[in-house]
Amino acid sequence: MGKQVLYIEMDNCIGCRSCLAACTQCGGHDNRNRNYVMDVDPFHTRQTIPLMCLHCVNPACARSCPAQAIQIADNGAVLSALVEKCIGCQNCTIACPYGIPKFDQEQNLMYKCDLCYDRTKDGIPPMCASVCPTNTLQWIDEAELARKQEQHLLSNGKWVASQPFNPLEGETNVRISLPGILQGREKLF
Amino acid sequence: MNHAFASKLAQRAFVIVCILFVLSYLGSRFFTHIDLALYGYIVGTLVFIGGFLYRFSAWAERPPTKLILKKGLKLLFRRGTSKTSAEHLLTYRFIWNRGWFRWTQHFLVGWGCILSALVTFPLVFGWMYFTMEDNGYYHVVAMGIDVMKIKADGLLAYLFYNALNISAFMVIAGVCMALYRRLKNMQARAEQTFFYDFLPLYMLLFVSVTGLALTGVNMFAGGVGHPVLTIIHQFAVIVTLIYLPFGKLAHIPFRPMSVLARNYREHYGAQEQKACKACGTGFVSAEQSADVVEVLAKNDLSFRTEHGYHLAELCLPCRRKYRMFRFTGIPTHQIDAKEANQHANG
Repeated sequence: MGKQVLYIEMDNCIGCRSCLAACTQCGGHDNRNRNYVMDVDPFHTRQTIPLMCLHCVNPACARSCPAQAIQIADNGAVLSALVEKCIGCQNCTIACPYGIPKFDQEQNLMYKCDLCYDRTKDGIPPMCASVCPTNTLQWIDEAELARKQEQHLLSNGKWVASQPFNPLEGETNVRISLPGILQGREKLF
Repeated sequence: MNHAFASKLAQRAFVIVCILFVLSYLGSRFFTHIDLALYGYIVGTLVFIGGFLYRFSAWAERPPTKLILKKGLKLLFRRGTSKTSAEHLLTYRFIWNRGWFRWTQHFLVGWGCILSALVTFPLVFGWMYFTMEDNGYYHVVAMGIDVMKIKADGLLAYLFYNALNISAFMVIAGVCMALYRRLKNMQARAEQTFFYDFLPLYMLLFVSVTGLALTGVNMFAGGVGHPVLTIIHQFAVIVTLIYLPFGKLAHIPFRPMSVLARNYREHYGAQEQKACKACGTGFVSAEQSADVVEVLAKNDLSFRTEHGYHLAELCLPCRRKYRMFRFTGIPTHQIDAKEANQHANG
């Protein structure tokens, strides 16, 4: 099995927030979730999309950290701040283009999604993906990712995009497909 | 004067060594009270200073570090520095908030090391020594000045003689707690590595056990092997000192940065808040927002939106909503709705 990645198929999200609840249960997360489920058009539809750290290849949080507290693991996971190094300046929360890192004033410590490194380093899916009932969050290997990519030949050539512009700010280790991509397809659930 | 040195690092090293030399000259009453049995520690300290400055200079050159150091140092004499320093550097209040077990282990190791450093370095550089002018009484001489006269068999003297034994017990207890946590805690087990997390603990343990053994052989074994043990202990301390700026223990000399960071946030936060470009709420100091934009630009990261502003100028909920806009084309960040509750109860 090749390298595994977290893949988000946004079209599937039903807003159940299981991923938030599961996140609290990951070892070391201390009963607090580190991900988000966002409403897309709050006054008109119930459409939701999960948002979590996308584990940038060139992470702005780590680049802006004066203490070098944010380390990148061998599987590309951008880890939560090292407790002994984090000085509590909160540069990372300002720098992150997706608004992901959270900050604990009492503990003077930033915490963020670490892709459940204690699980994913052994090939076990992160908590959010392991509980997602609609396959919005999937933990798949690169071969499967390529198969999915072949299924969705979009007119703009970018299989992740139902938008004309790039939805992300740079290359990320978490892969996404945008809402609309599954239109007209028969779902398995 | 700026051209007298090859680099800032060389200048800093020269100044620090000069200060040490002058302090030792004065403190040891013009080198009449240098304990030559401890010369190994002097060499170790000098190598440590070189290593520390090398590491510090490389670190301080990073754009975000440079900014916080520069602005934080300017605000050093701000009201509140003493309180923040006490909480961050002396009582470790923020670690208490992370859990009593971690606080206890850290307090024992931290204060054990500080206590032993406060005893060892003054003795090594001759800043503190004992003389016996009247029989049965020691004079404690600090920086060449008689500071107190203590009874040689009194309680205070007992504490002085045993300061390093007490600190050794503190460090051993703290290190054992830390090792226990590293063996049991699943999150720690996932992320720890031998060289980064365990090695410093083993080094501290080795230093403490050999130090305590020096007292042990004197008390219970008539001093058997004392000369060899002294060398082993000295060697262990020197290796730990030289290693200190490069591994996990580097957080000791770098921790004061957190006081600078707190000052930086409090001072500029009170001056002017940055209003979110989408919803208008202040979420961070205008200074820090601008600084982060500058730091990111130096790293070739420019998160410009099609509205013309930088993503660092949006508050966190609006930044997340803006991403929904990029995903779907629906301008979620312009819809005046409070973000749904994002905190699940574990």
